[in-house]
Amino acid sequence: MTQTFIEILRRALDEELARDPRVHLLGEDVAVGGAFGVTKGLAEKHGMQRVRNTPISEAAITGMATGAALCGLRPVLEIMFIDFATLSLDCLVNQSAKYRYMSGGQLAVPMVVRTQAGAAGGAAAQHSQSLEAWFTHVPGLVVVAPSSPAQAYGLLKSAIRLGDPVLFIEHKRLYAMKEALEDHAELPFIGTARVARSGTDVTVIAYSAMVRNALEAAAELAGAGISIEVIDLRTLAPLDMATIAASVAKTHRVVIAHEAVQSSGLGAEISARIGSELFDELDAPVTRVGCPFAPIPFAPDLEQALLPGTRNIVRAVRELAG
Amino acid sequence: MARVALEIPKVGLVMENARLVRWLKKVGELVKQGEPLLELETEKSVVEIESTESGRLVEILLQADEEARIGDRIAWLENDAAETPPVPAVPAGAATAHAPATPTAELSTPATAASGRIRSSPAARRLAMQNALDLGHITGTGPRGRVQLSDVRRSIEARPAPKGAAYAASGVQPLSSMRRALARSMTLSNATVPQFFVERAVDWSALRARRASVLVELPSGAPRPSVNDYLLQAIARTLLVLPALNATFSGDSDSTDAVLVAASGTHIGLVVAVENGLLVPVFHDAEKMGIAELARRRSEAVARALQGRLKREESEGATFSLSNLGAGGPDRFTALINPPQSAILAVGRERDCVVAIGGSIHVRPISQLTLTVDHRVADGRLAADFLASLVEVLEGDSWY
Amino acid sequence: MENPAAPTLNDFKQMYRALWRIRTFESQVQRFAAAGEVPGFPHLSTGQEAVAVGVCAHLTREDTLFTSHRGHGHTLAKGADVQAAFAEILGRDGGLCRGRGGSMHLVDAAHGVLGATGVVAGNLPLAAGAAWAAQAKGETTISVVFFGDGATGAGVFHETLNLAMLWNLPLLLVCENNGYAEFTSREEHSKVKHVSAFAAPYGMPANTIDGNDLPVVYAAAGEAIARLRRGDGPYLLECMTYRMAGHFVGDAQHYRSKEERAAMIEKCPIERLKHQLIGRGVAENELEAIGEQARQEVLQAVERARAGPRPDPATVLEFVYSAPSIAAQFRP
Repeated sequence: MTQTFIEILRRALDEELARDPRVHLLGEDVAVGGAFGVTKGLAEKHGMQRVRNTPISEAAITGMATGAALCGLRPVLEIMFIDFATLSLDCLVNQSAKYRYMSGGQLAVPMVVRTQAGAAGGAAAQHSQSLEAWFTHVPGLVVVAPSSPAQAYGLLKSAIRLGDPVLFIEHKRLYAMKEALEDHAELPFIGTARVARSGTDVTVIAYSAMVRNALEAAAELAGAGISIEVIDLRTLAPLDMATIAASVAKTHRVVIAHEAVQSSGLGAEISARIGSELFDELDAPVTRVGCPFAPIPFAPDLEQALLPGTRNIVRAVRELAG
Repeated sequence: MARVALEIPKVGLVMENARLVRWLKKVGELVKQGEPLLELETEKSVVEIESTESGRLVEILLQADEEARIGDRIAWLENDAAETPPVPAVPAGAATAHAPATPTAELSTPATAASGRIRSSPAARRLAMQNALDLGHITGTGPRGRVQLSDVRRSIEARPAPKGAAYAASGVQPLSSMRRALARSMTLSNATVPQFFVERAVDWSALRARRASVLVELPSGAPRPSVNDYLLQAIARTLLVLPALNATFSGDSDSTDAVLVAASGTHIGLVVAVENGLLVPVFHDAEKMGIAELARRRSEAVARALQGRLKREESEGATFSLSNLGAGGPDRFTALINPPQSAILAVGRERDCVVAIGGSIHVRPISQLTLTVDHRVADGRLAADFLASLVEVLEGDSWY
Repeated sequence: MENPAAPTLNDFKQMYRALWRIRTFESQVQRFAAAGEVPGFPHLSTGQEAVAVGVCAHLTREDTLFTSHRGHGHTLAKGADVQAAFAEILGRDGGLCRGRGGSMHLVDAAHGVLGATGVVAGNLPLAAGAAWAAQAKGETTISVVFFGDGATGAGVFHETLNLAMLWNLPLLLVCENNGYAEFTSREEHSKVKHVSAFAAPYGMPANTIDGNDLPVVYAAAGEAIARLRRGDGPYLLECMTYRMAGHFVGDAQHYRSKEERAAMIEKCPIERLKHQLIGRGVAENELEAIGEQARQEVLQAVERARAGPRPDPATVLEFVYSAPSIAAQFRP
């Protein structure tokens, strides 16, 4: 039975609420389903005390989730758009990320911040960003970005059980994606990437919605006799360099693709690490596919001209493989 | 005017590092082929290195007292030798300043920059070094003339022109890379592995009977077990009983770092003759496989080997090999160990022989087994015990 | 404390000792900071001890406490170990936080001191979250957060008041209004003279009291905390007080007049309580002995803290995550 990304997220939250009484959901409109309907029905089922609406106070509710996590709850906070996480930054960066370290290990912050990123047509610059790189830059935060419903199911559950503050970044364009869950699939380890498609000529590293683009590119390139290996990072911080290394040792050529702005994006970090740890494996410089350095425009013509997609990946691979 | 690179040669059988003691020629001086050019200090001694080329010494890349490895480029000579592929020095901006900027100009720009450095990818450099190829003789097809993996691979496949010499009369045959690899490993084996040989005859009567009954009951389509399958299982089982032989010697006998590394399991190679050479597919954890499974795997692996399609993990990891030259082979032969393995079993052809058993004369199907063993791993006693146990299994009836 | 509503003379003597403990501790911090042994910028709460002691006298070990960068007093009043606290301020391995937090970030989880922050107002919502956790678990514990009047300029202060009332949280907000935020006086920060005025728009009860009068603090805090434990919702308590040391050690205090300072020292909370207790029949030399005991206790703890080892640099990467390698250690 296939379900949408949203339905599967809801199912994961439902199961976690049932499994662990410490799990509490909070966020703007979550008790009535949330902006995208992810939490629909959960307040009715588990009670208004377990699934709580908040006013529009990102700073305070992030702080409350953090304080509650310090005291034994497992809060799952919903921040409607990652663009609004700017208001949560003081708490996430100065408190949540650092509590374990600054207390010398006395305290932990087992909380998950669910948010969503990406452009979806006409949402414009303040509702379309991909800001994950900021959070990967903060020691103490874990950043996860699922690429499909099945991945989201396992990763969300693992994130809730991890014991560290996790940014769980969903993607607007994936919300309608459908997939069937495997029975009794093992929950993935946070911090491990997966090979979404095996290949021999070029490694394409991607995450979130770009994995789908990379797989489309793979199908198109296969027709031209070019075989690419697609790695779905799943966890952005910490990075699974072992999976990347095994792939690069095979293909010797790398493209990193993300929707976020290319300049100082996560691709820059991965590229630097490949250059320094896997230098002798490289047959060509590492190539990045990312968004050019501009805010996301409102008009669809402009937005489409800007956003990177399948054609950009195909072009980058062709240049490398040719 | 051609530029030729001079490199650190290998001195002696084993040489890892060298130190350039002093140059015997100065920049600008003429050098004749065979003339002493520099003094090189190796682990063993200081030797004079002669120039492999004639010409004028135009650039020195390695200074006195600096360390170098085999193959490191140490100087440039300029000469008029026509056969040497020309590698002119091109200043970095010259291509755009003087040549029309056409797309093809990119490709034909030599990969050498003014300093003598070749533009190449790390992976290409590594592959070239592993195959003793000179990057300067490889045309780079990458951006700005960069030498890439595909370029090096192409050079490996192509027949390389010997440096500085045209083809001589027919009768001189360049070696394929497989043959060169074989030559290298056999030379290494002969030179560095102290091997000794023990022999024993095996009576195939019991196995013959067993095999006959198995073949009768064999389901159609299933691969027929061969003598080699039984030999593989027997070797594996004997290695389990005598694990001391299932190890490899590692390191330098002169140093305290020398160790015996026990194998992680019974991994046995089967020598397969292919066109123009030998390939050795490895059966990992052979003792865990029954005869039927061994037969299946062996027939698939041999088929792939004959097509040159063995996978990398199928060619690695063995400590012991089996070489059976079959019915047309010699009565007995000694096989050379394939480094870094520790032993190899050579199986002579099966012949009906007259043997004395319990005072009476019998005719039995016999083969001579010759076991070659690395003396750093085992002594005669262990080798003899191994052969005895192996023969016991082969002449016994406890197959699975 | 036998009966919070009716404290005995003995109770007050305990609190007197607690005041001296904090006063001595802070003077030792000042002393060793001047000698160059304290890294960074410690902030002293000298002169504000009555607020800490008067409020914390009503708290159990399980109640949670959050404070600001000026939090040594609250931390000690809640029951934290004096030696470990001083060692932390010195950056030693035996410190509460293994040298990773320092003066502005003391944590003693075992005694319910859940942290301090140098980001003004940064932990107000965390305290609300701790209160929420107690409520969600059905416990009767409460959460207390101490902050200065400067924090009321932060947006999150108002967000926290709003949320605390909406969710009826067992949260006590204690504002130490010492008339200054960093280097500028309150008048330059806000037209609203008293912090307690901020509570009314959110429907929250509040009060402004003399924070240097220990019995007054004790009584007001007791009343507020009783409400919280009954589940009647949050409370904002504003304690007017005065900072006797500068904003931080090393601050030359050019911004206050000499007369101002002299007048305030007359209102020293320790001096005031001493006179109040003498007025109720306690012998002066008994009080002096209690003070001396507290001083000796702290001095010895400080010496032990100073003798403790420095942290091992090889451990610098420990405690960032729940496990050194998340992927390796974690199994769902």
